[in-house]
Amino acid sequence: MLEDQELNNLRVPFSLKFDRFFSKPIYRKSLDTITIIFFILVIIGPIINIFSTIFLNIPSIYKDVFNDELIGDLQWMNILKSLGASFSIATIAVIVDIIIAFPTAIILTRYDFKGKKFLDALVDLPMAVPTSALGFSVLLFWGIFGVSPGMVLIILGHIVFTFPYIVRNMKIVLEQAAVIYEDAARTLGASGFTVFRTITLPMMREGLIAGAILAFTRSLGETGATLILSGLVETAPILIVGFRRQLELPSASLLAGILIAISISLLFSIKFFSRRGSFTVRKVWPKLERSLSHKTLRNLRDILTISILIFVILIPSFYIISQITEGNLFKELFLGQDYKWVYLYTSLMSSIEIGALAVIINLVFGIPFAFIITKRNWGRIITILDTILDLPIAIPSAALGFAIFLFWGPAGIGLFQPGFFMILFVHVTFTFPYMVRPVIGVLKNSDAGIEEAARTLGASNMTVFRKITVPNIKQGIIAGCIMVFTRSLGETGATIVVMGNIRTIPVLIVDWVEANNIASAIFASTVVIIFSAVLIFALRAVTTRRRKILANN
Amino acid sequence: MTFDEGKVLAVDNISFTIENGDYVFLLGPSGCGKTTTLRMIAGLEKPVKGKILIDDKDVDGISPEDRDMGFIFQNFEIFHHLTVWENVTFGLEMRGYEESYIIKKAQKALETVGLLNYADEFPSIFGNPGLQKLGIARAIATGAKILIMDEPLGSLDPKVSKVFRHELRNLIKDLGLTAIHVTHNQEEAMAIADKIIVMRAGKILQMGSPYELYEAPNSIFVANFLGETNFLQGFVLKLLEENYMQVWIRLGGPKMLCENKQNKFNLDDNILVAFRYEDVYLFPKNYDFEGSHYDWSKMQFFKAYLDSSRFVGATKRFYLSLDNRDQFISIKPGNYEENYQKGDELIIGVHQSDIHVFKAPENLFNELSLS
Repeated sequence: MLEDQELNNLRVPFSLKFDRFFSKPIYRKSLDTITIIFFILVIIGPIINIFSTIFLNIPSIYKDVFNDELIGDLQWMNILKSLGASFSIATIAVIVDIIIAFPTAIILTRYDFKGKKFLDALVDLPMAVPTSALGFSVLLFWGIFGVSPGMVLIILGHIVFTFPYIVRNMKIVLEQAAVIYEDAARTLGASGFTVFRTITLPMMREGLIAGAILAFTRSLGETGATLILSGLVETAPILIVGFRRQLELPSASLLAGILIAISISLLFSIKFFSRRGSFTVRKVWPKLERSLSHKTLRNLRDILTISILIFVILIPSFYIISQITEGNLFKELFLGQDYKWVYLYTSLMSSIEIGALAVIINLVFGIPFAFIITKRNWGRIITILDTILDLPIAIPSAALGFAIFLFWGPAGIGLFQPGFFMILFVHVTFTFPYMVRPVIGVLKNSDAGIEEAARTLGASNMTVFRKITVPNIKQGIIAGCIMVFTRSLGETGATIVVMGNIRTIPVLIVDWVEANNIASAIFASTVVIIFSAVLIFALRAVTTRRRKILANN
Repeated sequence: MTFDEGKVLAVDNISFTIENGDYVFLLGPSGCGKTTTLRMIAGLEKPVKGKILIDDKDVDGISPEDRDMGFIFQNFEIFHHLTVWENVTFGLEMRGYEESYIIKKAQKALETVGLLNYADEFPSIFGNPGLQKLGIARAIATGAKILIMDEPLGSLDPKVSKVFRHELRNLIKDLGLTAIHVTHNQEEAMAIADKIIVMRAGKILQMGSPYELYEAPNSIFVANFLGETNFLQGFVLKLLEENYMQVWIRLGGPKMLCENKQNKFNLDDNILVAFRYEDVYLFPKNYDFEGSHYDWSKMQFFKAYLDSSRFVGATKRFYLSLDNRDQFISIKPGNYEENYQKGDELIIGVHQSDIHVFKAPENLFNELSLS
């Protein structure tokens, strides 16, 4: 045993004293309060505000939309038509996505082949690339076959950028679904197809629904690619952008309100229904299904899937890179009278600055928010916050951007004018869930036991957070940061609504395509595609490292 | 240390005292509230009602980091992002000790559990026993005088845990710690405890030394939970002098003479007769009791039939049934010599002092379930 006199001078380091001081419940409570206030101001406020705006302006909306002196209810007809177009595009895109995604997800999880990791990354990539660059690439690719802008091209474009959301979610559930159940079903005499239909599919249900919702809402709210591919067709987000450009604010707020209301009811009803009901047919047709499980048919399916994947998704996504030599790029970009390269540089910088600042702000508020969702037992309030958290993902970004413009802009609180800070604000709002979700994920998986262990060893709450919790959820935080940054980098619709004179890179691409500066637009698209590719590979490196660490434990 | 408490009545109004230097077990089936009790002592849960006194001081409101106790977890809860050395010095650094002192204490703790050679490694190289050794080193390094353990051997292989538990007890005794150990493994508790507190459904059933609990269980549950026990249903047939009574096993089973301590039982009471497997003696039908020099007067005899017998390594088990088809078991050493055949009629002997009588519960099945 050591002598007591050796213990005479305790020198508790400043950092531990600091932690101990800020571990008092009052600080935790104030941080919780600030986080909730942020959440209300940034996410709930603008949404509530748009409904109250509509309600307060019923007469002017009625006059503008339903009973205009010149055009009567043409505006309303346009709104209805655009909603119809948006919904049919999203529905068709998601259905096609699901059909291709099923076999793709199975190939990517259950098979082992050379280049699988590369293919996997390639499939994920369109998620990170700004949709306007993707849309432009799709336009150029299908242009070879004479497909001109319109409904068909919009759908082809939407299939490309929503596809990764569905595959990713399917892959996650397929990886988690234990193969042992499938083996059990096979030993009981079920053929491959029957096993998939009756065992695998029900296990995939939640992932499938989650992916489909995400893809559907992304398609419903997409602006950048649609602007490039639409021709004369107007989808709802494009109509909002148009109303905003022509300063027809009552019509814009009505449409934004309708879109937000639809998204909210969609989100809630799907959350409600995805837990009930089942889409498996119990009846089995052994002979038919056995013949469907035949090896030749399976190989045929795989070959078909791979070719569709390559020709409908992968090549259209990256076709643009091969067109970099098109036209006289150097002359257009550097020697023109309008200094295009300066625009390219400044908008790239604005994009990066906005993305980086959005990451920082969301880090500051997102981590405490994730803690509130996972650690506080506030009962029902947590469930409500948890559901509202997903709203910015579900709501079309142009509508959300417009709601924020109304709430914070000159017409509302008047704190911001359209421009850099308003863009930043909008980006903070719609990327917030992308930061919080991964952190919630790692927090739920991380073992609360080690935190208790640290406390019994004498660590105060803050020290536990610093030394134990953060190192263990680091990967989730990094994943969240990269997600936020890529989403911010790729956003068009919300930016256009609030941008003023500032341009971000996706908006610049849209501008240049519309102004027929094809060579420069191709160059800008290639730059962002490469930039995003680097980001997505970084994200994958981070997330696979996390899986390895978990496996080691 | 005393307390009463109730959290959704996971722990319902319990109270006990632990002496300095005792190695105390909280024993009970899962969900009995033993872990909750432990966590309240450590400050990880807050009692709704009642007090916890340590050295006669109320620790209410003192957070776990200030209670100065070592806690050992079932799942080890090792910090995998820190090295073995950083794990062990964590608690010492939190207390702001001088570096030389930290090094001395950490080295001593690692040496005690035999992990000093692995100080610079990451814990992921260890299997479960290594992780738990590290968990122990981490908990004792701080010099805490009270050690709290939640199923510390529960994640170890049964064979490893049997060796490990003696090392654990020696270590605790050598360091002179007061230890509270939660387990659902009665064998583990019997093997190394100074004192066992048996809990069930949030209440304390009985406390005492392993010997006391085994020899004089105060309830059907304790009798059943500690050791292997036969239970036969019957009723009180006759009350006799000097606190004795005659009981009759149901449906025409045998009659037995039992003690009626404190005249607890009345005529016609439904009762449950309990005796341990190892207390059942077997004799062939024609055994010559007269010829042996043993005093048989304190033994109860009845007849039974052999259903089957199994050789289980160190022991041999005999499955027997009475005339009324009630079944019971006798356990003998593996080298027990006999040549009984299935269906043989045997004479069964049980010492009067080994027979425990309990009031028949309303729901016998419930009472005999181990949860």
